[in-house]
Amino acid sequence: MSALLEASALLFAEAAALDERRWDDWLALFTEDCLYHVPAWRDETTPTSDPRTEVSIIHSAGRAQLAERVQRITGGRSVASLPPPRTAHVVSNVMLAEEGAEALRVKSVWASHVFNVKRQDQHVFFSRVEHQLVRQDGAWRIARRHALLLNDRLPTMLDVYSL
Amino acid sequence: MRRADIAGLVDDRPADGVFRVHADAFRSRQVFELEMATIFESGWCFAGLDCQVPKAHDFFTTRIGRQPVVVQRGADGVVRAFLNACRHKGALVCHLQRGNAKTHSCQYHGWAYDSSGANVGIKLLRQGEYTPAFHAESHDLHAARCEVYQGFIFVSLKQDVPPLREHLGGMATFLDLIAEQSPQGMEVLPGTVTYTYRANWKFQVENTGDVYHFTSTHPSYIDVLSGRKARDGAAADTTTYARFREKELVRGSMCFPAGHSAMWGSNPTPEARPLYESLDEVAARVGEARARWMLYVRNITVFPNVQFAENASLQMRVIRPLAPDLTEMTGYCLAAKGESPAARERRIRQYEEFFNPSGLATPDDTTAYEDCQAGMQAGRVDWHQGYMRGMAVVKSGGDRYAEELGIQPQTSAHGGFEMGDETIFHGPYRYWRDRLVAGA
Repeated sequence: MSALLEASALLFAEAAALDERRWDDWLALFTEDCLYHVPAWRDETTPTSDPRTEVSIIHSAGRAQLAERVQRITGGRSVASLPPPRTAHVVSNVMLAEEGAEALRVKSVWASHVFNVKRQDQHVFFSRVEHQLVRQDGAWRIARRHALLLNDRLPTMLDVYSL
Repeated sequence: MRRADIAGLVDDRPADGVFRVHADAFRSRQVFELEMATIFESGWCFAGLDCQVPKAHDFFTTRIGRQPVVVQRGADGVVRAFLNACRHKGALVCHLQRGNAKTHSCQYHGWAYDSSGANVGIKLLRQGEYTPAFHAESHDLHAARCEVYQGFIFVSLKQDVPPLREHLGGMATFLDLIAEQSPQGMEVLPGTVTYTYRANWKFQVENTGDVYHFTSTHPSYIDVLSGRKARDGAAADTTTYARFREKELVRGSMCFPAGHSAMWGSNPTPEARPLYESLDEVAARVGEARARWMLYVRNITVFPNVQFAENASLQMRVIRPLAPDLTEMTGYCLAAKGESPAARERRIRQYEEFFNPSGLATPDDTTAYEDCQAGMQAGRVDWHQGYMRGMAVVKSGGDRYAEELGIQPQTSAHGGFEMGDETIFHGPYRYWRDRLVAGA
């Protein structure tokens, strides 16, 4: 299979795990030392670029921090996370930006539809995403997920299933 | 609304030990319109920070109440505020969130204004066959009153208001505790996050001073911290809340005239604060007591529209009411200039994790406000019982803690963390009631 197909399959698997709320499967797609990053915006046209000196919307370093979010989403102790929203992640425009035997840089566009069942309202979050994939034990894993959220006026809240 | 109806929204009977607020304060469109007209558009509101307009002609745009406003530093270095509406047809003359411009030209008919808001050009004026009556009018952008305290810019759309310093009263000291953390002052870090919630703006005012909600609203956040503690030991003590249940903590509140309020409390992990590394310098400059207070947890509301929460990190949040049941919030990460790169990075991570609407705590607050707004449609629970914790210990004037700061609040209360004082809401609602009654 071509690298593009393999990368696409991984992105679709990520979207499906989010939509089907298979959280262990979702976490397993990331490397132990992954970076999950959603920058904030400085102004109308420029996102923040240096998370050490600028604010991000989400900056989670390591799979353990993603697991904390999963625990919060599934643990029943966060009123914002209950009842679970229904989501449909549409992944498109998948392109290889860099291709190597052990690493890929993949660009894609995500339209993440979120229906908040409790409030009976819905929202589409759209983002330009860049994945850095590395090959581990014969499978591609996400070493870095960088999502540039374009509509950043957030309705009440945002979590990883919104992206 | 009649004045008696408005006054009746706050059931304020200290002698009987009763304080209640009626649900119409949160759900009535008439009350909302009155709030906009008499509080937000007729008195001091927070607009931004001096450091957001450091150079001549720097500007940012904002809203005061519902009205579009430009805040700009003029050629003379003075920060002014004027309505962002061309005198010709009312179009916006400034379209960006921030920038630098010597002039603003309306892109509809070309009228132009300088960075002080003065009209400097009417296209084809001479050929316009205007009447003398037209020439007799001012064509400048409408000026708002603008004053700066310790780098905090406040704007009043009504000119005839008390000076800002008088309006702030003792609350000014709490702004000092933010502004003076570094000899170089404070800065706002790039990257702001704006969010909306479908509930009344006053839920946000209340939540910031509300100690009582923490353990029941944020157990998932507390679980995260406990998990880190179990995994990483003392290395996990990187936030104010890491050990909040292990020590006897004092929590107190103060209310000030003009609706301002401050919740404060001792901090079990002062070493987690970025400020801790420069404590000696700070104490030498501002004194031991104020340096200690800078490390305390302090959540303050400068009524009606800005809050500073210094607990997990230091957040400035600006409240913009859009409707009785819709509010927009913008969060800013403030930091002491000159802190070490490691302290700066820790500050940002704590900020994102706790304060962002995409973090581990704030979504549970905003969801709770929405649940309150939805629940308040229940007509039989017009009066809520959420204002009476601490009433047995609240006192007029200051307590010994206010004395440490040398300030005179209207009321003060203190107790343990679990007292969960609610008298902190009394001052804001008393002022709110008086302003609405006077404006009705």
